[in-house]
Amino acid sequence: MSSSPPPSSAAASPSCPKKMIALRSSDGETFEIEEAAALQSKTLENMIDEDCAGTPIPLPNVTGKILAKVVEFCSKHAEPGVDDESLRAWDAEFVNVEQATVFDYILAANFLEIPTLLNLTCNVVADMIRGKTPDEIRKFFNIKSIFSPEEEEEVRRENHWAFE
Amino acid sequence: MLLFFVSCFSFILISRSMSCKPLLPMRNRLILSFPIAWGQLSSFFMSFFHRIKLNQVLMMKPLKKMTTGPSQVLQVQDFPGEEKFSLLDLPELTLDCILERLSPAGLCSMAEVCSSMREKCRSDHLWEKHMKQKWNRLIGDAATREWQCQLASRKRPSLCGLDRRNGFKKDLLFRVWPFTWMRPNLECGSNKPRSDFPVDSIMCLYLSLENGKFWFPAQVYNRENGHSGFMLSCYDAHVSYDSRTDTFQARYSSPGRRTVEENIPWDRLRAPPISTPPHELHNSDCLNDLRPGDHIEIQWRKSKEFPYGWWYGVVGHLESCDGNGDHCRCHYSDNVMLEFNQYPFDSRWRRTIINRKEHKEAGTEGNGFYGGIRKLYANEEISTWKGLRPSHVME
Repeated sequence: MSSSPPPSSAAASPSCPKKMIALRSSDGETFEIEEAAALQSKTLENMIDEDCAGTPIPLPNVTGKILAKVVEFCSKHAEPGVDDESLRAWDAEFVNVEQATVFDYILAANFLEIPTLLNLTCNVVADMIRGKTPDEIRKFFNIKSIFSPEEEEEVRRENHWAFE
Repeated sequence: MLLFFVSCFSFILISRSMSCKPLLPMRNRLILSFPIAWGQLSSFFMSFFHRIKLNQVLMMKPLKKMTTGPSQVLQVQDFPGEEKFSLLDLPELTLDCILERLSPAGLCSMAEVCSSMREKCRSDHLWEKHMKQKWNRLIGDAATREWQCQLASRKRPSLCGLDRRNGFKKDLLFRVWPFTWMRPNLECGSNKPRSDFPVDSIMCLYLSLENGKFWFPAQVYNRENGHSGFMLSCYDAHVSYDSRTDTFQARYSSPGRRTVEENIPWDRLRAPPISTPPHELHNSDCLNDLRPGDHIEIQWRKSKEFPYGWWYGVVGHLESCDGNGDHCRCHYSDNVMLEFNQYPFDSRWRRTIINRKEHKEAGTEGNGFYGGIRKLYANEEISTWKGLRPSHVME
């Protein structure tokens, strides 16, 4: 998906509701996002302020597949008149994806400084951890524990008497 | 600084362009597409570095991906093999964000996962939040001092003869060591700890509270399960938490005996509001300020060998006063009437008069001794007392 960048206006007015910002992903895809939605990202907000909005903003850390979803998220959260309950349900559906994609969202939210997306995705990962034993956590996240047997025993002892 | 980064990226771009391998998008790489003007590139990086607290490894990382962590083996993966992205590969800030959302049990589980998580999950800033949420009301200055005292005792070079030291009771030994597996080997006098667990961490304090091993000073309202002899009083005790029932045990000390009470709910406990210990007379600084209607607490003890408890009362009108607010001159009098309305009118405990000019401690061995007075200003304290009032006047 690509489009020619919009002509830059002399004075970029944030009050113009339909101003579109162009973004370019790491793999060369271009996306358009309404300014109001883009302002959810502090990174983009700063770039818009610095008048980089004339040409597509390059986002070298975000692939097209993820950027499309991020644009969708920001646009949804910038929509007027959406009640909290519907938005929560929409968010729940948005993050109902595989683990690797959630991590991609976290990285994008961190890079683009989108607090709502970062909170949402970190909550998802915390929920994944909740209630699992250390072994289950390792398996779920594919983490190799490199404790020596002595260290492992020590850590188990440290924590065992706390929550019996 | 900017020139350094720009030259780094120039180097990377030149080396990449000489490689025969295709450029694949990977999460932890920096990819540049060519026709970006250098001016835009530099302004992009200026804002990027200025505003984003992204792990620098993401930007400066060489093209080979490396996993990190103090005791994890560095695993260098050759390009273009793509391995599964791990939770541990997330930037620090986002990992913190996730860990902040975990409960104490979650943090303990995560700490067992691997070395790097163990370090992170012990961090004070993660546990501070849990301490504040659950324990802020009860863990005040007195409890903090007791904890620090226990930590300091643990660090002393030799613990032999601890029970012979002045001021130490033998049972203090068992309160000094909240972790049975860390109890020192007194026979050989060894002082080498068996673990490098950070005992002065907030995590350690929190876990010691949760598992009941840390007995800390607090005050118990209506002690001994609302025993009528202690109604509307608050006594010092050492308490310990039972996480299974979400209640507390208390040990009260009285001469000759130790009383233990169990199943005390949270709302019958408070942190000592002032630093006066239970055997010391409190210096009353509010005597000139006492007027009818004021809420007070006064120290009282059965005899001089007992510790004081704090008893709730109100300042009443003197007998000479008709109780009419406009004509009341009670606050000009040297005498102050204190009323304890939980007792019947004819009870000797119902009222007492103190002299505001001279009052220190007053009483007899028969009626007990009235000591220092605190005037209550905070609505929360007053309403707590009112909420503990018995529904009927006691016999």
